[in-house]
This record gives sequence, C-alpha cells and structure tokens, in this order.
Amino acid sequence: MILEALEREGVEYVFGYPGGANLPLYQHLHEHPRLKHILVRHEQGAAHMADGYARACGKPGVVFATSGPGALNLVTGLCTAYMDSVPMVAITGQVASTQVGRDAFQESDVIGATSSVTKHSYLVTKIDQLPRVIHEAFHIATTGRPGPVLIDVCKDVQQAEAERVTPDRLQIAGYRLNGHVDLGEASRAARALAEAERPVILAGHGVILSHAEPQLQELAEAAATPVGTTLLGIGAFPVRHPLSLHMTGFMGTGWNLKAVQNADVLMMVGMRVDDRVTARLADFAPRVKTFIHVDIDGSEMGKNVRPHIELVADAKQALAAMTPHVGPVQKDRGRWLSQIDAWREEHPLRYKHSNGRLQPQDVLLDMYRRADNRAIVVADVGQNQIWAALWWNYDRPGLFINSGGAGTMGFALPASLGAKFARPDLPVWCVAGEGGFVMTAQELSVAVEHQLDVKIVILNNFSLGMVRQFQDDFYGGVRSHVDLTHSPDFVKLAEAYGLPARRVERLEDVAPALDAAERTRGPFLVDFRIDPEANVYPIVPLGKSLNEFWEAPEA
Amino acid sequence: MSQIRVLSLEVEDAPNTLTKVSGAIRRRGFHVRGISVGPSRHAGRFRLTLQVDHGHAEADQVRKQLERLVEVVEVEDLTGDEVHSRELVVANVATSDVDALVRLGAKVLSGTTVEFSGERDEVGAFIDELHRHGIVDVARSGPVVMRRA
Repeated sequence: MILEALEREGVEYVFGYPGGANLPLYQHLHEHPRLKHILVRHEQGAAHMADGYARACGKPGVVFATSGPGALNLVTGLCTAYMDSVPMVAITGQVASTQVGRDAFQESDVIGATSSVTKHSYLVTKIDQLPRVIHEAFHIATTGRPGPVLIDVCKDVQQAEAERVTPDRLQIAGYRLNGHVDLGEASRAARALAEAERPVILAGHGVILSHAEPQLQELAEAAATPVGTTLLGIGAFPVRHPLSLHMTGFMGTGWNLKAVQNADVLMMVGMRVDDRVTARLADFAPRVKTFIHVDIDGSEMGKNVRPHIELVADAKQALAAMTPHVGPVQKDRGRWLSQIDAWREEHPLRYKHSNGRLQPQDVLLDMYRRADNRAIVVADVGQNQIWAALWWNYDRPGLFINSGGAGTMGFALPASLGAKFARPDLPVWCVAGEGGFVMTAQELSVAVEHQLDVKIVILNNFSLGMVRQFQDDFYGGVRSHVDLTHSPDFVKLAEAYGLPARRVERLEDVAPALDAAERTRGPFLVDFRIDPEANVYPIVPLGKSLNEFWEAPEA
Repeated sequence: MSQIRVLSLEVEDAPNTLTKVSGAIRRRGFHVRGISVGPSRHAGRFRLTLQVDHGHAEADQVRKQLERLVEVVEVEDLTGDEVHSRELVVANVATSDVDALVRLGAKVLSGTTVEFSGERDEVGAFIDELHRHGIVDVARSGPVVMRRA
C-alpha cells in the first residue's frame, strides 16, 4: 500500500537501506518497477542523496530506512534538509505496534528523535491511517515553506492487507499556507525602496524555492536597487548583473557588506536573517531606517530582525505585487550605485597565488571556464564551500547546492549523486575538502554501481581548513586537532571502489586532469593537493560586525 | 516587563501532540510555567492552556512557533487581556483546620479533604495559609483561562 501510494505521488527514485523493520516494504518493491530504488551504503547518504535530488529538480526526495539505528542515521540528513527548507519524505520502519514501548530489538523513539528536525512527522500504527498520512506528508513536505516529513510505520502495518483507497481531498486543520499578499504593504515596500537614498535587497533560498528570480530582477531594475544573495540564495540573482552585490554575510564580498552596512532601506526576501548573515546582530545594517522582510513563514518576522514592513507571503507573489507600485525612483540613485562600484573596485575578490603552491581558486576558475553556467556544483562544508560560492559566477538558480543552515560535513558526495539522478542532462561537479569527503566516502559505491557521471574534486589541504583558519586567526593560533595528514591515498581509494582518479599538485596539471575528468564517462575523482595555508577571504572575525571584515592579502 | 505569555491552544488529540508542543517550547529557549490540558468542545481536539516564559526571544515568537506545528489547530494569545484564569487546589488538612479553611472559601470534598479554586494570587495565598496550618498533602493544577465575556 505504501509503494502504491508513492507511485500515485509521482515518485521516481527512492534512496534507502533495508533492515528488519522494513522488510515487508522491500519484499514488494520489485512489483513496482516505476519506483527506482537506490541502495545507499549508509542511511545518512540516503538522506543527503534525496536532498541533492530535491534541490536539483524541485521534486521531493524520498528515503527508506529501517528502525532504530537505520532511522537514527537519518537524523543529520533530516536536519540538513530542515534547516535549508528542502522537501523530503522519509519512511522509516518501526517495530510492530504490539512491541512499541517494550524496548524491542532495534526499537527507538524515532518521532522523538526527529521532531526538532522535521517539518512534521507521523507514527502509523493502523493500516487505515496510511493512505491519508502519505498523501498529507507529500503535501506538507512540498508546500509553503518546504521541509522534511517523516512517516514511522510499524512493521505489522506494512504487512497488513487493506482495501485500496484513494485518499480524499486534504483537510489538515492545523496546517496554514500563507499565500495571500497584503497589497497595501506591498505598495509601501515598493515605495520605500524607490524613495530610499541607499536601498539594498538581500535574496535568500526562498526566492529560488518560489521560482521568483524573474520577479526579483524586474523589481530590482524598476527600483534601481542592488541585490545581494545569501549563501543559499546564490543563483537567485545573476552575479554578473550590474546591480549584483554577490554574496552577503560574514564571508560575503566587501562591496556587499559595505552596501548592507550603509543602506537606509534593506529588504530581505525569503531568508532567515541568521547569525551568518548579520554577524554581530546589534551592529547589523546600523543605518537602516526601514527594514522590509518578505517570507512565507510568519515566524521569521522579528525572529532575528524586527521589520518595519512585513509581508508574510510567497516571494514570487509578493515581488510581483510590488513592482507596479515602484513609481519614480529617487533622483540621486546614481550616486549610490557609483559608490557601490567604488567599493567593488576597492574591495575586489582576490587570492594569493605567488607562493608557488596550487591555490583552490586556480582549480575552481578552470572548472568554471569549462562549465560556465551549465553545470551543477555541489559543495561540502568549510573553506571549499565558500570558495565554490564566491569564485563561480552563478547566473541561474539551482546550480549551486550546499548545506547552508546545518553546515553538514559529508553532504557533498551523496548530494551530488542525488543531483545527478535528478538532472542526468547537466554536468555535476562535487567539490569537497578531504575532511568532509571521508565522512560519506562509502557512497562512491553508488556512483560506480550506477556509473553516475559525477566529477569529484577534492580540495585537499591536509587539514580541517576552516577550523584551522579560525584557530589561527581567532583562537590564539593554537592548531588543535586539525591535522589530517593521515588521510587515505584518494587515488587508490577511488581505484578500490572502481572509479578512475588522478592526483594534481601543480598548476600546470590542473587543466589536463580536468580534461581527463570531462572525457571520462562515469565518475571521476581528482585529488588536488592545494596550499595548506590557503584561507577564505573576506571574513568577519567571530563576534565582530560586518564592517570589520578582513580581506585577502595582496596577491 | 513580564516575560510570561498566556496562550490558549486548540490541539489535535494525537499521541505526538504534547511531545511536539513541549519540544518546540524547549528548542526555542522558552520555559513552561503553567500548563493544563483537557478535552475541548470539538471531538478529537484538546484545549491546552499554557503560561510560557519567552526568554530572550520576541514575545510573539511563542505564538508563531506554536502555530507552525501541524498538530496545533489554533493559538490564542491572551496575555494582557481581561481574562478569567482559574487554578484548582486539593488538600488534605488537619481536622481542626477545616472550618477555618472553609471560611476562606474552601469546599469540603470529604472528611478532611478540601478544594479551593481561584486566580493565581488567590490560590497562592490559600497555599500560604495551608502552610501556616501545616499541610498534610496538597495538589495544585495549572491554569484554565478564558477571555472575559
């Protein structure tokens, strides 16, 4: 009955792992050839694969796991999806309903363990609940602010026979969708932007989730207002657009941070305004007279920054409602835009490449020249993530995938495989540090088994680079447990799994290695031995305001 | 300024509801100061009355975070409104104290067991009185709150 329901919801892929409490489900899987099941090697991998799949194609990712350790291994992946509002449905096996509460073999309180990292969850103890629950789960996961929903199904329910029923129309009393745009507030917001002397728009993941990029660009152009994005909002506004401020936040570009800190009107769209965006909250955007916040989740209003104008609505509808009300733009707008251009000149992105060591940017820039804006980049967490965010000019949404809110190391490899299942038509690059890569490296088996054409780029600096950088700069220079010299030989590791690989230590070998990667059909791994002292810049020291960003030393 | 929000919730009668509500409160750094729960006039729904300390968050975050829960059908924030807020005390007392407590408004349930209901402060004062008399045993409920008609 579960499998039929999944077919009815249009599910194409299931990422999962069988075990004692979901055996009945797996027994009947072969009777449903439309459901392609991908056997992962660890349940965390399943959750990240489903996550990458969902982010790449917009459809909900579906996960199977067994009870106890199987389900608990999903927790990090659920949290990753929850923090970044990714639609996912996880179906976990639970011990038989008559065994619940008896500390049965592989029993754990999965609802209890996952409540804080799911949008909603269900424990199903009776077969007649199932059709409604599955239908509701997909609805809740994919609508409003998307998120993961978990269904914990007792084993006896999986085995029970029941008449096929198609669930009725959905009626979920406690589930509210905020679609309505207050036109009065939209008009006020539009006028506030147009009449401002120094307006800035910041765009988050919500813009991408709502497919509001054209509406954002129209509004920005109508109101002659520069646009920055959050880390997860990358792609919401073309980086090469003249009004682009590139990425904001404590590792954002200098000209973005200058603009935010000097703005008099700041509109934040589809974002949570978290500590990585604001740095020291008390000093965030101190000259702003009017904060405007647009988000579909009403609880975001005032959670971190109290807006003067709030629109609890879908970004696309809200932005579309604003543009007609922009009206005449403040006369001196040219001065503000020239000031931003001056900051762009004054604080460019730059990196040091004079010490003879291979720099991560050398690798990324070469990749970008090849891929332009046609490839999906899935980054891990740490320095590799920020380099991949800043050194590509993403001009379209959906091309940069990373774990922004949860910051989950080990995300990139399984998520990149999920992205490839979702978009076999696009090149997919996985960018990871050697620290995060080994956390989920077992999923290489999936890449090889399905001959997924994913190019894996390890930016190997023999250390936990971001932590090392923080220790150097903010924790008295004490390098404590960041040395990863004892990593495996990644070329041999790849070969052991059955995929070709290369090692690159010099700049002149970058292009030939990437050529080889591109020529190869199927997975390919390159272990780039980069400068172990390479750092991420700009960066705002921990606890400081956005004004106090540090820049890269002169090249 | 008071940190306490008074909320009246209509929630689904489901096994996970209390876990979800208390989990959301804990996760956001709030703290429950009073709680009472009982059936509501709608079948399959319960009425949950909460007094919650909102900690460092903005006051209306308590309502907003609870509204996000699918199990929560409706949240009414009654903080600062004109309300009737009643708590109940049941106590076992010494035989010699029964008459004095009845004069304070207590009702005899049986023998030396009395009950008293009232606003939070009245109930507090009644319990202070019990302490002076030397209580044998006492049980106190959370609040049940309704906006004044």
